[in-house]
Amino acid sequence: MLTPKERLSKAMQREAVDRAPCICPGGMMNMVTADLMDEVDIYLPAAHSDAVQMAALARAVYEQGCFENYGLPFCMTVEAEAMGAEVNMGSQIYEPHVTGYVIDTVSDWRKLKEADVNTGRSKVVLDALSILRKETSDIPIIGNLTGPVSIAGSLMEPIVFYKELRKNNKEAHAYMEYVTRQLIAFGRAQVAAGADIIAISDPSGTGEILGPKFFKEFAVTYLNQLLDGIRKENLKTIVHICGRMSQVYREVDEVSSDALSFDSIVSLKEARSHLGDRILMGNVSTYALEFGQPEKVKALTRNCLKNGSDIISPACGLGMKSPLENVQAISACLKEEA
Amino acid sequence: MSLKKELLKHLSDGVVEMEEEEVAEAAEKFLEAGYPAFDGIMEGLVDGMNRASKLYEEEEYFVTDVLLCSDAMYAGLDILRPHLAEEEDEAKIKGVIGVVEGDTHDIGKNLVKIMLETAGFEMIDLGRDVPLQQFVEKAREEGAQLICMSTLMTTSMGGMETVIRMLDEAGMRGNVKVMIGGGPISQKYADKIGADGYSSNAVEAVKLAKNLLSIA
Repeated sequence: MLTPKERLSKAMQREAVDRAPCICPGGMMNMVTADLMDEVDIYLPAAHSDAVQMAALARAVYEQGCFENYGLPFCMTVEAEAMGAEVNMGSQIYEPHVTGYVIDTVSDWRKLKEADVNTGRSKVVLDALSILRKETSDIPIIGNLTGPVSIAGSLMEPIVFYKELRKNNKEAHAYMEYVTRQLIAFGRAQVAAGADIIAISDPSGTGEILGPKFFKEFAVTYLNQLLDGIRKENLKTIVHICGRMSQVYREVDEVSSDALSFDSIVSLKEARSHLGDRILMGNVSTYALEFGQPEKVKALTRNCLKNGSDIISPACGLGMKSPLENVQAISACLKEEA
Repeated sequence: MSLKKELLKHLSDGVVEMEEEEVAEAAEKFLEAGYPAFDGIMEGLVDGMNRASKLYEEEEYFVTDVLLCSDAMYAGLDILRPHLAEEEDEAKIKGVIGVVEGDTHDIGKNLVKIMLETAGFEMIDLGRDVPLQQFVEKAREEGAQLICMSTLMTTSMGGMETVIRMLDEAGMRGNVKVMIGGGPISQKYADKIGADGYSSNAVEAVKLAKNLLSIA
């Protein structure tokens, strides 16, 4: 039998597998739930800032039969905080979120500091990765990055940022280069600390918000710059993009990650028809995971398989109140089907 | 083309083409020529914003475009609105709008606000990460007939149900219509928590609001 790491690695290279892997990367795609925290008696928000607790929660996700990977962190604010944004650390129910911006316009990007990956929560993430690396060789470890457009829209008012893509185009690009450079440094450090896979989620850089032209000019360009910057032998990458794809399939296909992940609004059958032999990941509805029954989750899982998903995962971050038995139903279903 | 028609066209086109300065200039000229501000707003600015919404609906325009169109519209409104005759600036239907506690994604909320204002509603914007009690308090204070809530996060959607319960407890549920929207939200969820309606985008939100409040 394949180890979870072998299975995922093979699936990401389109090699034969005994069954589809079942993962949830972490980062924006949060997989920590209230039930899970109760099981292991480790809680957010404390675990956002403590490497030992963070590693233990990531481990629990696998050990409690939820997903066949370790993944961290459990939010998308680590990078923005390292670049100076004020962050509210959230609660057991709410995720951490940015509450204070650093700059007023893209032109001010030079005032932003160079992020130091060896301090603060960046260091927590790296330490947690190192802890997990020492413990396992069979479970794939996924490090997460927030995508360039989303970070750019976390350091300043996103509405102003979006407008300046057009109105202040040159400085907007300079700002994006800065952001991407910081993310490359953090991504490389995560790989050095032990990540087998880097997953990038860019929820603010969608085709629906930007339209095809800006999606290509800003989202795709800097995702690829980031992917190029962290590329390394044996490192695999996943990019998750939110929202509808119908307007931007051609542009999405240019994203040079190993796998592409979509949210549940995207029909995988339709995605498959536009994206040829790309490795696709997704996309079990997080609504069903929170409010449905295990049988419903299993039916959706089978549907993902039928529609050509190579890696089964939730379509988005899990709601904190998702019952453990629902979350476990994805993996259980894949084992039954095998 | 008469001068009035020409200026109205400038106002409308300027909004569609996102030309803030040209709209402001056309608005000044419109007033100088002695035409009623009300016409400039309705037949110029709002007409332009409606055309922009249509382009958005047809997926010719995207969120970034609509935001810039609305900047142009507001630039014109700032100039024309002080010149409205009193009876034209009459009481509008009020609504409160915000992103519920736990979430700061407010682009969708801002779009809905813009579209509802274009459609003639007076929207009180509570912003983002809004404490749930505030929806209820503000609605009472302002005599709002509409409450619009959004979130992009599964983790914070439960707050919408809490607000509806608070409205019940405050005896206000009968006086306001509750509309919800955002990434993880669906009609099914709206039904589940007893909201009056769900819409999947800003243009639909206007139709829904008019429908709920029986406005033609």
